[in-house]
Amino acid sequence: MRAYVEGLVLATLSLVAVWGAWQVPAASPGDTWAGIVPFAASVALLFLSILLILGASRQTAGIAPVSTDKGAAFQVIALFVIALIYQQSFRWFGYLLPTAIVAPVVFYMFGVRSWIGLASSAVLCPLIFHIIFFVLLGVFPPYGEVFDLLSWIQG
Amino acid sequence: MEIFPALLSVITDPMLLFAIVLAAVVGMIVGATPGLTASAAIAMLLPITFYMSPLFALAFLYVIGKSGRYGGSIAAILFNTPGTAASAATQIDGYPLARAGKAGKAMKVATISSVIGDFMGDVLLVVGVGFIAAIALKLGPPETFAIYFAAFVVIGSVIGKSIVKGLASALLGILVAMVGLDPISSEERYTFGSFDLSNGIGLVPLMIGVFVLGEVFAQLEERRKATGETQENESSASGNELTWEEYKPCLPHALRGGFIGAGIGVLPGLGSAIAAFISYGEGKRRAKNPEQWGRGALEGVAAPEAANNAVSGPSMAPLLTLGIPGSTIGAILLGVFLIHGIQVGPTLFLTDKELVYKLFACGMLGIFAYGLIGYFGATQVARLILKIPTNVLYPLIFMTAFVAAYSARGSMFDVTVMTCAGFAGWLMRKFDFNIAAFVISFVLAKGAEETFRQALLMSDGGAMIFVERPIALAFLILGVGAIAFRIRGIMKERSLAEGGLGDA
Repeated sequence: MRAYVEGLVLATLSLVAVWGAWQVPAASPGDTWAGIVPFAASVALLFLSILLILGASRQTAGIAPVSTDKGAAFQVIALFVIALIYQQSFRWFGYLLPTAIVAPVVFYMFGVRSWIGLASSAVLCPLIFHIIFFVLLGVFPPYGEVFDLLSWIQG
Repeated sequence: MEIFPALLSVITDPMLLFAIVLAAVVGMIVGATPGLTASAAIAMLLPITFYMSPLFALAFLYVIGKSGRYGGSIAAILFNTPGTAASAATQIDGYPLARAGKAGKAMKVATISSVIGDFMGDVLLVVGVGFIAAIALKLGPPETFAIYFAAFVVIGSVIGKSIVKGLASALLGILVAMVGLDPISSEERYTFGSFDLSNGIGLVPLMIGVFVLGEVFAQLEERRKATGETQENESSASGNELTWEEYKPCLPHALRGGFIGAGIGVLPGLGSAIAAFISYGEGKRRAKNPEQWGRGALEGVAAPEAANNAVSGPSMAPLLTLGIPGSTIGAILLGVFLIHGIQVGPTLFLTDKELVYKLFACGMLGIFAYGLIGYFGATQVARLILKIPTNVLYPLIFMTAFVAAYSARGSMFDVTVMTCAGFAGWLMRKFDFNIAAFVISFVLAKGAEETFRQALLMSDGGAMIFVERPIALAFLILGVGAIAFRIRGIMKERSLAEGGLGDA
């Protein structure tokens, strides 16, 4: 079943890639088509995905399914969702506030249960990363469009 | 002979020496920490190198890579957990030695053999790289494309469990690299109308995502499967010392391992794990005491350790002369060259020869730095690693990935790319796709496309140019041969397994 899914996902990706390559306009005279490499790569990927599907169909039905820990996978997906929200919130609230909120959440997910530890991570993480990257290395921090804690602190 | 003035120049630069020693320590700790890889550490530190001079940045990351390969042996011997894939072969004999109270002895054999192998690899690199570059300068676009093709196929088919998934990973890397404006005609490809995508996918966020955030996701998943705490095996007083009489039988294995590693290192994508296992197998075949191998033979530590470290230097040869990274660390180092506006390829030896030889000199000094630290302090490093709380370490790495991805170009789009690449990296690990093939192909794709289209223009659109030119044809055959060889190997393994089951 897993091999079928892998093959089907790859086939879908390759079909999207073939379609995307087909959208590239034709080459001007004396030039080569800009879509030639993407097209060739996506067709090759389609061929490999067919091989995967054929390989899956040849597998014997008697093979026991591999046991998977769904709880762990859900945790990873939850962390990915947090990561997506975290990076998006930089645009709205700058660096400090989202980091102060996300740091204890991530520490908790990794098993830290000390309330003092979690509370200090909310202060220390934004502070230390801000000092290293935005003060010492001189990177310009992301500006929060809705509310920026750094601007508020700096008055 | 350019290496001697370069060595003198590096030795007289205290800041550079400090960077080398620091990198040796960082690499050793990272390599010895199970779950952390030198690639992840280098990817994470990559944005910081924007603010360093090119030599300082390259030397720092290059030595981390070298020391990280060696550091893997510490965890393999002391904790029975290979810190890196390459040190899995060291574990076979290293851990039984540690269980027998000879951990210190095994660590010293690993250190000396790593230094011998790494140094042999670097000497061969210094001697041979100029020669390869001179040949590379004479290659035209069809030959260069054929080399790229062979690299894609070898990288995709030789590493990993499945040829199909390996090749698919390589193709996915190529497709992701195609996103953005075509460098020749400026036509948009796979941008779907997005302005951000028209600038393409950045190398730095992709690397940080795949290697750093992907590893954090994988570690979160691993936490549920982990059982018990890792404990260090204590050495007895006599098990800590290593005499010349004890090391003497290891020396031929270390030297052979050095040559095996150096030979494999030149071939893109094969990597140090393969070198270590080949060297271990070859060593056992030639050993006077093969029955001892696997039960705690010092020679069984020397052979794989020399080989996996000997890969490091020669793997730089295809990167520096052809722009083809031989390993994931090479791919990241290519990013550093590009960040600093240095064009990698045969012309590098005309434009930045001094920098290249200084980098080699830094690598050689790095070997001695990790050798000395490892010989006298490997057990202390191991104790330090046991004290690192992983439930604090990985959240910190998670946070660093975001700020590091942002710092590279100050772009929020890069942070989004990094986040998605991290999840994709985790999925690829989970479903046994080949991350190394994906990343290396991403790096190679643009150069391959350029040479392919130049070759087509040379021949007025005909693909026969790749067959008519003998060097190009040879590399195309090499690529196809690599797949055929791998398929034959897999079929042989299967028939052996079926035979074994039949006998049972």
